Amino acid sequence: MDSIHDLGGKQGYGPIDIDDDGGPFHENWEGREWGIAQCARTPGITIDWWRHCRELIMPVDYLARPYFDSWAQTDFSTYIEAGWMTLQEVASGKAQSDGGGHGQPPAAMSLQQVLQEDRSHAFRFDAEIDTPPAFAVGQRVVTAKHGHAGHTRLPQYARGCVGTIHACNGAHVFPDLSAEGTEIHQHCYNVMFSAAELWPEASGSRDKVFLDLWESYLSEA
Amino acid sequence: MPDFDAKKVAEIHQHLHSHLPSEPALRVKALETLLVDKGLVNPQTIDAWIEAYTEEIGPKRGARVVAKAWTDPEFRKRLMQDAPAAIDELGYLGKATAHLKVVENTDQVHNLVVCTLCSCYPFSILGIAPAWYKAAAYRSRAVRDPRGVLSEFGVDIDDQVEVRVWDSTAELRYLVMPQRPAGTEGMSEDELAELVTRNSMIGTDRDLGLE
Repeated sequence: MDSIHDLGGKQGYGPIDIDDDGGPFHENWEGREWGIAQCARTPGITIDWWRHCRELIMPVDYLARPYFDSWAQTDFSTYIEAGWMTLQEVASGKAQSDGGGHGQPPAAMSLQQVLQEDRSHAFRFDAEIDTPPAFAVGQRVVTAKHGHAGHTRLPQYARGCVGTIHACNGAHVFPDLSAEGTEIHQHCYNVMFSAAELWPEASGSRDKVFLDLWESYLSEA
Repeated sequence: MPDFDAKKVAEIHQHLHSHLPSEPALRVKALETLLVDKGLVNPQTIDAWIEAYTEEIGPKRGARVVAKAWTDPEFRKRLMQDAPAAIDELGYLGKATAHLKVVENTDQVHNLVVCTLCSCYPFSILGIAPAWYKAAAYRSRAVRDPRGVLSEFGVDIDDQVEVRVWDSTAELRYLVMPQRPAGTEGMSEDELAELVTRNSMIGTDRDLGLE
């Protein structure tokens, strides 16, 4: 989807506010939202569907609201879409049904249990598939000119560009379909682009950009 | 179960734009209240997640990995070949690090990590990303003007050094291995870990000092 989230190479966002105190959260609500996002996930959700729901936030909100606030809005949208809560409940702030949660909170997790849970979140997205990879390291490839209308991980700035296969990552869950609830694995490659290929002002530059891209985004150059 | 209905979600976002309070703290409070009232979340578990990412999981872990790699050539070899297994030796494997890759800075190469499509970050070794990493200014410019970005962080890169930008938009995550500063030969792993900044592991810092 060609929307505002696809920021690579866009201009006009001004200087970077590099000030940072090093702490994880700067407001209490940021930590609350982080915790909610870790422990309240609707059954059957995929990371790609969650990311797509964040991309679907209206551009004016996506750019203007604070970062963890956009997570909260994404969570609201996934909960409402999956039937955990309704727009009426959100507007009134009052629960009218249990949303499948039976009104009794799940048992509290301790710090040690949460640290264990974090370890169990080391999700792998790769699998062995029967199809051999179409491309080999060193081969030149060209990226698709257009993206998928839904969720996709081929950024606009790298479309219709020639790069070189830098590494074969194995077959990974294909995000465009995972965001629609279908899990298939497809070969994924690390592709190297010269800055000069991507940007008009970079001719003569020795710099490079590396992207992990799925096979169906690529053709032989 | 989600219906994976993008049109419906776009409509929900329009409603939320009009019906949620403007103040982020109130929005998140409303979210937590509904989840707790429905029995979907235990607020003490939220507390535990905050504590985990405030006290236990953060860039000190990444710094430990780097310092160990500087002092233990065999660990460094394992880290470069199979980073998830190597960080698991230290108990740091976790959220968003199952496909971790380590990219090394050298005299000829400087590495910089970004996610232009969202804000992907190797949580279990670096913790919560700094605000600038998640902001539009960094996400838009890191791939197009990395040297300009670096100079805003006070890092000037020699023309002879190649800048490699890793746009981590898939499930792979990248950790930059900064160069060990000169004059640290006698230092212990603990002392070395103190020198490793979070920004150096993202790539917005390069020459680590001895202060």
